[in-house]
Amino acid sequence: MKNVWKLSLVLFLICAIVAAVLGVVNELTYRRIDELQAQKTAAAYGAVLASSEGYETLCDQAFTVSANGQKVKILCISRANNGKGYVVETEVSGAQGNITMVVGVNLLFQCTGISITRHAETSGLGANAASTAEVGVNFRAQFKGQDESIALTREGGAIDALSGATITSRSVTNATLAAILAVRDLA
Amino acid sequence: MNFRKQLKEGVITNNPILVQQLGMCATMAITTSLFNGIGMGLSVLIILTACNVVVSAIRKIIPGEIRLAIFVVVIAGFVTIVDLLLQAFIPALSASLGVFIPLIVVNCIIIGRAEAFCQKNTVAASFVDGVTQGLGYTVVLVAMSVIRELLGSGRFGGGLIDLARGLTLDGTGAGIRIFPEEFGAGILTLPVGGFLTLGFLFAAMQYALKKSAEKKEKAAKKLKKEEASEA
Repeated sequence: MKNVWKLSLVLFLICAIVAAVLGVVNELTYRRIDELQAQKTAAAYGAVLASSEGYETLCDQAFTVSANGQKVKILCISRANNGKGYVVETEVSGAQGNITMVVGVNLLFQCTGISITRHAETSGLGANAASTAEVGVNFRAQFKGQDESIALTREGGAIDALSGATITSRSVTNATLAAILAVRDLA
Repeated sequence: MNFRKQLKEGVITNNPILVQQLGMCATMAITTSLFNGIGMGLSVLIILTACNVVVSAIRKIIPGEIRLAIFVVVIAGFVTIVDLLLQAFIPALSASLGVFIPLIVVNCIIIGRAEAFCQKNTVAASFVDGVTQGLGYTVVLVAMSVIRELLGSGRFGGGLIDLARGLTLDGTGAGIRIFPEEFGAGILTLPVGGFLTLGFLFAAMQYALKKSAEKKEKAAKKLKKEEASEA
């Protein structure tokens, strides 16, 4: 019994030291990480629906929309102040973890572009959806002009899935659909 | 402690991937560009060295029954530190390696070295072991990346090198095009290509090790014969 106490104490001490060190490192890095993420989101807003007059947040209470049977979280909806449409931040479960993406929707409820701001998809496969290389740019370009009928080619739509990454492609497609539906319900 | 011996072991005769066959999952998954290969290799090198030093420093005070739990806590701590630092200072690499950085926690090279080496050796020897094993890992990753990138998409140094801008550390370099992309064997950039490339590297390594062992044996026999004839 005495031994158990000793083991627990040693393990506890080591965990406490590691936790303290991590706390310090987190303190040193979290501002920069948040800042980078905010920059990325701001750049994504501009990329999906440019508005030199800025954006006005309409709804920042997260809610869930079901798109093709997949649950998509709508994090935030903003209106472009130049009256061109809306920008929606969504979160959807991908092949590995959550994908956070920004979707632009115009007044005709068509997608004006998508931008993936955070994801944990497989490098070289699903991660291509967010890549700045040709394969990623071409994949995302397909979403421009899509409306409520958006779907993967194999499901009768017009979006070619990334090779080896059907689940990622489907999640991104469903998130776009959810954004369109959310804007239509709001407008 | 013998640095040259340990270096030779880490990179060649006891290479973590090609000989010990540890940590193959990440190896096959991320070696699609030179940028990824070098980034992952160096991340593992840093984490491995730090964990080796800490584990060997505390080897005398940790009870044997819970040593694995303690190793995992130490490893997870260092991996999280590297993960946070990458996110803050090299976001392109963090985005490109994705989940494989946190997954270094369960990379068997690190826990393998802690168990097989550090708990029996001094801090200095463990430090050298971390550096040399890490180098061995990095060398294999770089080799895999170069082979897969060249044969799969016809370029060299993707993400890292840009002809117009030189070295790019933000992962946006286009690489040097060796031949047009459509002539590449695209399969090599998929996971199956990782298996194939790694298999061929294993085979080459086994061949080379066997050859060198045979050579040594022959030399030893010759020496014996000479000694016998002299006597």
